Amino acid sequence: MVDEKQLRDAVKKTVSRDDVKYVVGYKNGTYGFQVTPVFAFSLEDADKFIFSPLCVNNLAVYPMLEEKLPLRKGEEEDTRKIGLVVKGCDSRAIVQIIQEKGLKREDVVLIGIPCTGVIDPKKINAKFPHQTKTVDVKEDGEKFVIKVNGTTHKIPKDELLFEKCKHCENPNPVIYDILIGKEVKTSKKENYEDIKSLEKKSLEEKWDYWKKQFEKCIRCYACRDACPMCYCKECMVDQLSPQWIRRSVNLSENTAWHLMRAFHLAGRCIGCGECERACPMDIPLTKLNKKIEKDIKEMFDYTPGIDAEEKPLLAMFKPDDPEEFIL
Amino acid sequence: MDRLILPKNKMSEFINAIKTKYQVFAPVENDGVTLFKQIKDSSEVNLDFSNSKVPPKALLFKQTETLFKFTPGTKGKIDPVDIPNEKTVIFGIRPCDAKSLTILDHVFKNDFEDPYYLTKRENTVLVGLSCNQPDVNCFCTSFDDGPASAEHVDILLTDIGDKYYVEVKSDKGKQLAKTVDKLLRPASENDGEKKKEVEKKAADIITRHQKTDGIVDKLDKIFDNPFWKNIAVKCLGCGTCTYLCPTCHCFDIQDETTMAKGARIRVWDSCMRPEYTLQASGYNPRPTRMNRVRNRVYHKYSYYPKNYDIIACVGCGRCIDNCPTNIDIIDVVTKAGEVKA
Repeated sequence: MVDEKQLRDAVKKTVSRDDVKYVVGYKNGTYGFQVTPVFAFSLEDADKFIFSPLCVNNLAVYPMLEEKLPLRKGEEEDTRKIGLVVKGCDSRAIVQIIQEKGLKREDVVLIGIPCTGVIDPKKINAKFPHQTKTVDVKEDGEKFVIKVNGTTHKIPKDELLFEKCKHCENPNPVIYDILIGKEVKTSKKENYEDIKSLEKKSLEEKWDYWKKQFEKCIRCYACRDACPMCYCKECMVDQLSPQWIRRSVNLSENTAWHLMRAFHLAGRCIGCGECERACPMDIPLTKLNKKIEKDIKEMFDYTPGIDAEEKPLLAMFKPDDPEEFIL
Repeated sequence: MDRLILPKNKMSEFINAIKTKYQVFAPVENDGVTLFKQIKDSSEVNLDFSNSKVPPKALLFKQTETLFKFTPGTKGKIDPVDIPNEKTVIFGIRPCDAKSLTILDHVFKNDFEDPYYLTKRENTVLVGLSCNQPDVNCFCTSFDDGPASAEHVDILLTDIGDKYYVEVKSDKGKQLAKTVDKLLRPASENDGEKKKEVEKKAADIITRHQKTDGIVDKLDKIFDNPFWKNIAVKCLGCGTCTYLCPTCHCFDIQDETTMAKGARIRVWDSCMRPEYTLQASGYNPRPTRMNRVRNRVYHKYSYYPKNYDIIACVGCGRCIDNCPTNIDIIDVVTKAGEVKA
């Protein structure tokens, strides 16, 4: 469990720095199990900050959403840092963005949280539906302790955890300025079971599977907008000249969108799963990203978002790279 | 209004009988999400749902609609398309979504008559289904509506235990009821009482409430308040809230062409995107997410009531359920009412 006092103190310390604009973290949301991003601009705001297994959002998206309007005469750009509360996966997004020179290390102050896994909102809402009041969720060893309508439930973690958290190899922030609590130990390994079983299917079966998924897409682009790695100034899907993807919403254009999205994240996706969580149509988007992640690991022994000094996969060449795929 | 009874075990017969005269769209389980889809048989219908993920507005105001086709070039010509005019039933539409169509009617038949929407609307019969188990973010009662309101449907079915209480509201509804009159029998007073009980029970489940008293005047006074920046600061700028909203109706028009043929289409657009207001000069009057989030609220709670005397929100809760960052319209509007102007 994260010591909330320690967290709030760290937020206060950060937000009171002259060179920090604001700190982004989590607070309780407006109903049930909802937790919501919160921005601290002042010391008072820091007292709203929490960290619980419900803190799913990857806040690494926010520095990339900073809106830079044209400056007025005499106005100077606000170059102060942004403070961020980061879990293991979130910190990997920051590392990856730094590798790509999207951010400089000194642009952010990272309050790292050793994470023991977060809860999939879909799973917990299905188990305890219709919670209008804020519900507190705590952790006790291998169980989540949930107090609903006066009754305390102890649920094995595996039942509620996000799938990604069950195989997470980086629960500790790989980069941080302040660490809240002690690093956690893990023996979890990504085994790509899901992907392996999908790979075994025939081409027809695979197409049937994805066809059903892509047909559902309404092209709201929540997958893109929730993704910390999708920070292009202009997304290819918004371009009109040339128009890479048509605005018509149909299987063909939807498929083009999802394949291009997945390919643009090749060697960059850090597996936080925000795309899938944000998708209102329940499209299993992480399967696409995981497949590419697996291939890259096998071919180049490369994992994105680990070392800020390293070059991005697609920007480096090693003479001993395997080249079996080149005909 | 005719009040009738449909025994539960006759439901599938009821749907199949309607199907002989109308094309029927009904809630169908679609790989994890409930959607309104055209059905071939009553067995596909899933009536055990809170509400569909995408609102049934999508059946009348389609996400992608071909306005006409054309042949480009010097010998180019325009080929009109037939606007679908089959007799249609939307079966199982919730009272809130039915109201959303009444709200949308203002847009599509006011300054211009939109034949694409209106043709479908005129040929569509709404067979509503009362909401016995409102979901966590339902708040239709905030607008003096109820989960079992028959006001905006042609026929309303309410599950009152072992049977459905059937209220036939309009001429369209009467016509439809004729095709299934063998399955229906008159309702007793007791059945009517039961419906009221069910309605009250459902309304009691709804505990979230949005305060809209005086909101139109209030919004006039707080347009420049920092409140909006605080609300919008966590917005990611995706279009989920607008696409899943039963009253959002903005669209974009595009020509999609190949070498030899083309079509002018309209597709749903979203005021949450910068491109929505981007002008050819490069100037954008709504340059930040604050401007865009504020506009979404003002459109529904200020401009719309001023133009058409009705708030453009029905309280379905979809935007709250699906927002990845918990921007909650109940909370936003209630708090806007409390802001010191």
